[in-house]
Amino acid sequence: MTTPTPTLAVKVLRAPRAHRTSLVFAIACGVVAVMTLAAVFAPFVAPYPPDAVDFTAVNAGPSAAHWLGTDGLGRDLLSRLVYGARTALLGPLLVVIGSTIIGMLLGLLAGWRGGWIDAVLGRVFDVLFAFPSLLLAIMAVALFGKGLVAPVIAMSIAYAPFVARLTRALVKAERTRPYVAAYRVQGFGGAWIAFRRVLPNVTPIVGAQSTLNFGYVLAELAGLSFLGLGVQPPTPDWGAMINEAQSGVAGGYFLPAIVPAVAVVLVVVAVNIIGEELSDRIGGGVPA
Amino acid sequence: MSQLLDIDGLTLELHDGTRLLDGISLSVAPGETVGLVGESGSGKSLTARTVLGLVPERSRLGGRVRLDGREVIGAPARDILDLRRHAAAMIFQDPRAGINPMRTIGDHLTETLRRCEGKSAAEARARAIELLADVQLPRPEEHFDQYPHEFSGGMLQRVMIAGALTSSPKLLICDEPTTALDVTTQAEIVRVLVELRERRGMGMLFITHDLNLAASLCDRVVVMSRGRIEESGDARRVFTAPEADYTRRLIEATPSIAVRSLDGGVEPDASSRADASGRMDASALAGPMLEVRGLDKQYQLRGRPPVHAVVEAELEIPRGGSLGVVGESGSGKSTLARLIVGLEAADRGEVRVAGRERGAAPHGRAERLAHAKSVQMVFQDPYLSLDPRIPAGRAIQDVLRLHGGLDRAAAEARALELLEAVGLGERHLAARPKTLSGGQRQRVAIARALAIEPDLLVMDEATSALDVSVQAQVLDLVARLREERGLTVLFISHDLGVVRRVCERAVVMRRGEIVEQGPSDRLLREPEHPYTRLLVDSVPRPSWEVAA
Repeated sequence: MTTPTPTLAVKVLRAPRAHRTSLVFAIACGVVAVMTLAAVFAPFVAPYPPDAVDFTAVNAGPSAAHWLGTDGLGRDLLSRLVYGARTALLGPLLVVIGSTIIGMLLGLLAGWRGGWIDAVLGRVFDVLFAFPSLLLAIMAVALFGKGLVAPVIAMSIAYAPFVARLTRALVKAERTRPYVAAYRVQGFGGAWIAFRRVLPNVTPIVGAQSTLNFGYVLAELAGLSFLGLGVQPPTPDWGAMINEAQSGVAGGYFLPAIVPAVAVVLVVVAVNIIGEELSDRIGGGVPA
Repeated sequence: MSQLLDIDGLTLELHDGTRLLDGISLSVAPGETVGLVGESGSGKSLTARTVLGLVPERSRLGGRVRLDGREVIGAPARDILDLRRHAAAMIFQDPRAGINPMRTIGDHLTETLRRCEGKSAAEARARAIELLADVQLPRPEEHFDQYPHEFSGGMLQRVMIAGALTSSPKLLICDEPTTALDVTTQAEIVRVLVELRERRGMGMLFITHDLNLAASLCDRVVVMSRGRIEESGDARRVFTAPEADYTRRLIEATPSIAVRSLDGGVEPDASSRADASGRMDASALAGPMLEVRGLDKQYQLRGRPPVHAVVEAELEIPRGGSLGVVGESGSGKSTLARLIVGLEAADRGEVRVAGRERGAAPHGRAERLAHAKSVQMVFQDPYLSLDPRIPAGRAIQDVLRLHGGLDRAAAEARALELLEAVGLGERHLAARPKTLSGGQRQRVAIARALAIEPDLLVMDEATSALDVSVQAQVLDLVARLREERGLTVLFISHDLGVVRRVCERAVVMRRGEIVEQGPSDRLLREPEHPYTRLLVDSVPRPSWEVAA
């Protein structure tokens, strides 16, 4: 008895439609690339040092000297935005890397071994899901002090269950595939199959999903510094910039708050577009 | 005589200019069955779908398709709908994919009657039950309120046929309607189709890859390959005196259970080959390579009675010998293979390979390697049994380095040797499975199994996912490897013809039990057990041979 395989006719009917999203995807990539380059080469890109004060222009609007204007202390907003991109992008990057590593290892363990390990890890993930990640980050700050390190570690742990749950499901599906049975028949050990073969096979899908976490983490870390619990002044940071601009907003000076807020929104949206497109292309494609 | 379906010079091009169909011309008269045969990707399904206006998006059609006197190509959607409702109906390969699992069989059948023909609920019910009786389902009244999951594949396919008949079509298009079914079920479905065709005077366009089936059923056949017609004509003429080279190759590649082949000569089979090599007698002294005693396996299902998958199985294969295991789906033949390979643990019984006891789960590296060295397996679907990320050469080298402790260069050289032994070459070393065809993948899987130099090679339906011509190549390869290397093979298949080609001896399994065993030729010629006889009789035979 043969298993029904899609015939040519079915394959042709199922062929994917032309990519309508590619232009949006390209723009999103461009936004992220520009932000990243600006952050890396901040000293060359920014017109002024981030904490240089210009007393002649306090809360000034856009001008030739200050393209995006200045804040309440007369600091150039563009320069602060460019320097602020460093912490804004570095934090989420570390969280994504950290949570992906922790999550994939735990997910692989749960999905591959199954049984009681799976059950215990499942409950641990449930408990972690119950805590808002921001709350965990605030707890970490309370325990280990303000700055970037404590929130990054806390959020890495908070986001790990999302990655772990996906990895577990993929590994469980992969485990029953004949190629894994073939490796077993050939005499390969379980650990070798799990780490060297199954893990790399699920990595692209998990990686694409993890990219989506980047945006959420960025917004939450910005929120944390807005609350004064993240990166500390005078280090420029988008969340902290919005916080510092609060008093100005009351006085009618919106620009110092809006500029970093728009930057956060731009990056989050761009990263989410990239993440979704990657997930679609990698996860949603018809397998070979 | 006016034709029911008349296709003339049909071409189909995708928006990127790929030509999938090229100059297809065929016709079907009322009451006639025309077979459309060819290998996968030949365009036979596409041709049939075009008749009902099921064409890929943004494709360009050329030529003429006249159905019941009306032009299909370029017809407005309303006309095509009308043709689908009244002129022609289609049944597909996988009945389970084509039916809504949440609704009853009755819903499925009455929907068309009520919506398209405006019948009342009671009328529709009566008509549906009549149709269920027409397709020879045993209890039509009861089936009406049942759900698809309560039906077997064969029963469900009959429901699909009944569904296609609700509109009393003049033309019935069958797209591989029995490919997903067992031989005995296939025989029943074919009987139903033939009976209905005769009673209703329908025309039938029957798509199949199985030449034997086409020969048993069709008046005329059209042979397709790569979107073109290779040959067409009277079925008997095409199959007994093929004109096109392609048809001839296809017929040669098709395994037959008939001991006499078409031209009257004796087709080479496994036993004649093995006798010629003379290896059998010499090696028989050293004791059997595989010995299975009282092997038993039950599956415990939650809330249901346990399934006895393998019952007290007894098998023996001499060194260098080959044994076929034949059975339908659910007969336990795959479980038997998995028990022998050690992918699953048996409840009772023992498996000895080359005299050594074989436990299920090995512990530790040395035991694992010894385990792998005694038995290797080639899986059914090469699309799934190769790691999609690993190139062919790497897959073989990994195995070589695990077992032989070879260094990188030596492993690479040996991998190339093995690929060459299975008819592949240097350019396949770096090829990923995705870029290889089904036959090439199965060759890689065989090369990978041979790399370990196992005592026993288990092939579990290793050719059933392949086209006939590719299957023939793989079977030839297995025969050659047996001769060259004295390989011992356990060959599991649902196809009697294939088993006869590869194996001297065979066992027949049914519901976990081995009902009969013996030389494969004897099993086919004089089956003793009624079930074996049923299996042999169910294999489609050319209509002219049955009549003779």
